[in-house]
Amino acid sequence: MAYAGGLNSPSGRDSAPGPRFFFFAALSIVLMYFDQRDGWSERIRYVLQAAAYPIQVAVGSPRQLWVATRDLFESRGSLRAENAELQQRERQLAVTAMRFEALEQENARLRALTDSLPPLVKRSQLADVVNVDLGRQRLVIDKGDHNGLYRSQPVIDATGLVGQVVRLGPWSAEVLLITDPEHAVPVEVLRNGTQTIAVGSGDEAELRLPLLPATADVKAGDVIVTSGLGGVFPAGLPVGTVLEVVRDPDEILARVRVKPRATLAQDRQVIALWFNPEHPAAPVDPSLARDLPEAPLAQPVLKPPPPPVPAATAPAAAKPAPAPAAATPSPASAGQESR
Amino acid sequence: MFARRESALLVWITALIALMITVMPLPKILSVLWPNMLVLVVLYWSTMMPGAGGILIGFLGGLCLDVLTGSQLGQHALALSLLCYLAIRLHLLVRAKPLFEQALFVVLALLVYEGVLWAVDGFSAQGTGTWTRWVPVLTGAAVWPLIAGVLGRLHAPR
Repeated sequence: MAYAGGLNSPSGRDSAPGPRFFFFAALSIVLMYFDQRDGWSERIRYVLQAAAYPIQVAVGSPRQLWVATRDLFESRGSLRAENAELQQRERQLAVTAMRFEALEQENARLRALTDSLPPLVKRSQLADVVNVDLGRQRLVIDKGDHNGLYRSQPVIDATGLVGQVVRLGPWSAEVLLITDPEHAVPVEVLRNGTQTIAVGSGDEAELRLPLLPATADVKAGDVIVTSGLGGVFPAGLPVGTVLEVVRDPDEILARVRVKPRATLAQDRQVIALWFNPEHPAAPVDPSLARDLPEAPLAQPVLKPPPPPVPAATAPAAAKPAPAPAAATPSPASAGQESR
Repeated sequence: MFARRESALLVWITALIALMITVMPLPKILSVLWPNMLVLVVLYWSTMMPGAGGILIGFLGGLCLDVLTGSQLGQHALALSLLCYLAIRLHLLVRAKPLFEQALFVVLALLVYEGVLWAVDGFSAQGTGTWTRWVPVLTGAAVWPLIAGVLGRLHAPR
């Protein structure tokens, strides 16, 4: 028969749902236990991530299709306008870049380094966004372990910081957006170097700076960049601009809202970055981060207050002291992630 | 034997489709209301065809949810296995009831499901979320007649 038809003799397979249930329940609990401790469950996840990737692509495909169709029917006029705008921007950027090169040289001299600085970004990898999950504030991208991505790798788009890689599959990765409520970025106010932490709000159009005292010198319009502390993000990536600062006389802390620079939800392509550990602004060498005990650095920075362990290791490598990377096993191993 | 394999195939395929509908990226407001289709479909098959999917489908489906929603590995698997077990145990009680009464059972079942998730979140010191996490209990019961109608048409007449 097609299904358990008899009233009191259900077919053979479910004759004993009890023991089977206990088996699966025990299995789930064991899984949860090991997932908490962050041990080998990472490997199971890696496999499952690969299995889940087709589903993620399939589920994200209607949106991709919609975007593609819209592109197809984009009018000639709007394309021409966009082209003109891009050309103009390119001209402006060229001027800025010229100036920037000179400034970088000058900066290197001022730091009394014998050679000019190596470029901060050693390698970058363009990745397509295959699925946007705003409920969980994550992007799924189509590059993964096989392209050398690593956990807690910074991801940017053309305008600013997007987030960091939190889960890695062989051909895909999940990027946690900086606006996730559990995500925190060590930042500074570009104008005066006031350091603080930007925490996500759960809304992809807003970040908060919850730890600034009411007396802190920050005002609407200030540009917020990463400070390079914490060992995950390099210094100087643009994060956002301050929307408003509310100072309540009854409260010790100011309420600061920040608008992210990157167009997080609309991104169709993002860039994963690798860094030269020799550069003073670079974050901790990923190979070093991987060799450390699992929890502190390999995990995303989850808690808002500056975590003690990254604080102990990160300043050595992330603060503008040029030497520390020499202490790491091999400075060039950042790109050799693929095992 | 053949019919049985066929019905098992039907169960797995509908469960896969339900999984995809469940994890579809949605606008914010809709995602709060969005019922967990996979749970409903698994619930339906566990009551109507307890032999076809068994608890295994609950466990594997839950594991997929764990991976796709990034929750703790095993959390959804535990909740959905439990639900499967209860449904298989009580299927004779629920099966013959009119749709409205079935929907009441579905509310209970979804409460159990969300309750397990909530408890696990609490135990593992994750945030237990806001009240909005309980909304799918009601919307799930609301779409139950739809699910029962569609799936009822798919499997062989009793």
